[in-house]
Amino acid sequence: MKGVIFNVLEELVIETSGMEAWNNILAATGYEGIYTSGDSYPDEELFALAAEICKVLNVDLATVIGIFGEYLFDQLDARHPVFVQQSSDLRSFLVSVDTVIHGEVLKLYQNPNLPRFSYRDEGDTLVMNYTSERKLCILAEGLIRGAAKRFNADVDISHPVCMHDGADHCQLNVRFK
Amino acid sequence: MSDDKKNPFEEAYHRERKTRRRAEQLLEDKSRMLHQRNQELEQINHQLLSQQASMLKQEKLATLGTLAAGVAHEINNPLAFVTSNISALDEYHSAYHSLYKLFKDIESDLMQDKQERLQTLVKQLDLEYLDSDLPHLMKQTLDGLDRVRKIVLSLRNFSRSQEGDRDFTNLNEGIESTLQLVQSELKHGIDVVLDLKELPKIYCNPSEINQVILNIVVNASHALKDRPNPTIKISTNADDKNVLITIEDNGIGMSAETLNNIFVPFYTTKPIGQGTGMGMAIAHKIISEHHGSIDVSSEINKGTCFSISLPQHEKSY
Ligand SMILES: Nc1ncnc2c1ncn2[C@@H]1O[C@H](COP(=O)(O)OP(=O)(O)OP(=O)(O)O)[C@@H](O)[C@H]1O
Ligand SMILES: [Mg+2]
Repeated sequence: MKGVIFNVLEELVIETSGMEAWNNILAATGYEGIYTSGDSYPDEELFALAAEICKVLNVDLATVIGIFGEYLFDQLDARHPVFVQQSSDLRSFLVSVDTVIHGEVLKLYQNPNLPRFSYRDEGDTLVMNYTSERKLCILAEGLIRGAAKRFNADVDISHPVCMHDGADHCQLNVRFK
Repeated sequence: MSDDKKNPFEEAYHRERKTRRRAEQLLEDKSRMLHQRNQELEQINHQLLSQQASMLKQEKLATLGTLAAGVAHEINNPLAFVTSNISALDEYHSAYHSLYKLFKDIESDLMQDKQERLQTLVKQLDLEYLDSDLPHLMKQTLDGLDRVRKIVLSLRNFSRSQEGDRDFTNLNEGIESTLQLVQSELKHGIDVVLDLKELPKIYCNPSEINQVILNIVVNASHALKDRPNPTIKISTNADDKNVLITIEDNGIGMSAETLNNIFVPFYTTKPIGQGTGMGMAIAHKIISEHHGSIDVSSEINKGTCFSISLPQHEKSY
């Protein structure tokens, strides 16, 4: 997982619960917590940190990941504002994720292990099919929510097909109201 | 501050310092990698460009070869009958010359009016001059035709591309016999230095390789005209894959333009009639057909060096 994801997670914890909380979480997981955006780190490390956060805050993993997704969107937007600027609305932004944004990521990093999105337009609903070994569909949902806020778009997100239920992909329906 | 209640920001500070160091290290590593990749790319690019240039050159030479073959073929037929007609005319002239001589001999025996009529005609037609000039014209024409014949021949040699008679050959012997052949060309005090190392026999067409040596040595002797201490140095050598021949002269050398065009058919810096510009084109073609390489380096007023490399393990296929 890219280092920037760890950086943002750290920021989220420090912003909401303070420096000491983050220190404690690191201490509890046994990680050094040295993350740079240019490097990648094992996925287990991120999952272990998330699990620890759940314990400390006493919320379930899906909630943590969902909140993190929204926050992550804002932070990524702050670091790389051009992608939002390039898109006129939420729909075109979401459609650009797979080729444009991931294309840029591939220029910078070897082997980033990116998730894949494919799209289907169904009138008022954009159907996004998500596949990734990491099965972080909840994170994707959070990111989409963050993007919707950024574009001031009123949307309903549903998740009728999920890899966690044994499917080979997740289906995220973004209905524009 | 007590030990068990550490300032959380101090802890974070140490972590951040390490992170920064890691990030800087990463930046350095990536920069180094990028630099290296860039160098690799530049090198590959350079290689591609020079390969492209040599491919274009080869292509040009091949096209010219085909063109040359066509031209040679077309010129050959008319050349044959023009040459034979001119030879016939030469004979006709000697018939006419006998007649004219007879007239001169018996001129004084003729009756006065007949004699005057004939003499007027001889004057009018300038027959005296014609009779003396014709052998000249004939000779020049035949010389010219002979030159055309030679050009056509070298064109056909150039474009002929069958493998010919190949055999296992010791190139040193070929070099020595070729030098015998050009003895007369090398008259003007040219010093020929040989440094011939023992060579494995290689599978090649010996008369073609000799022609290459001959063409180069003749060029060298031209380049050495009126030069101080004119010397041609020929050395042979072998490594485990190739046989190498270098032929070096300390002659006038050549310009970058000549160096660039030396293997192009018809490229010559010599006056019309003296060079056809086919010598090096033929050499290049022969060496290529033997899957070898021929390179030339030269410096104006210093001299020129040809290097030929021929593979040792070239089999007939
Ligand atoms: N050893 C040399 N030193 C300097 N110039 C040379 C040398 N060898 C070749 N050249 C240059 O290369 C040109 C081409 O050589 P090439 O043998 O192909 O044709 P040529 O000698 O002009 O005519 P020919 O067809 O009669 O050999 C020459 O006109 C000359 O300018
Ligand atoms: Mg020549």
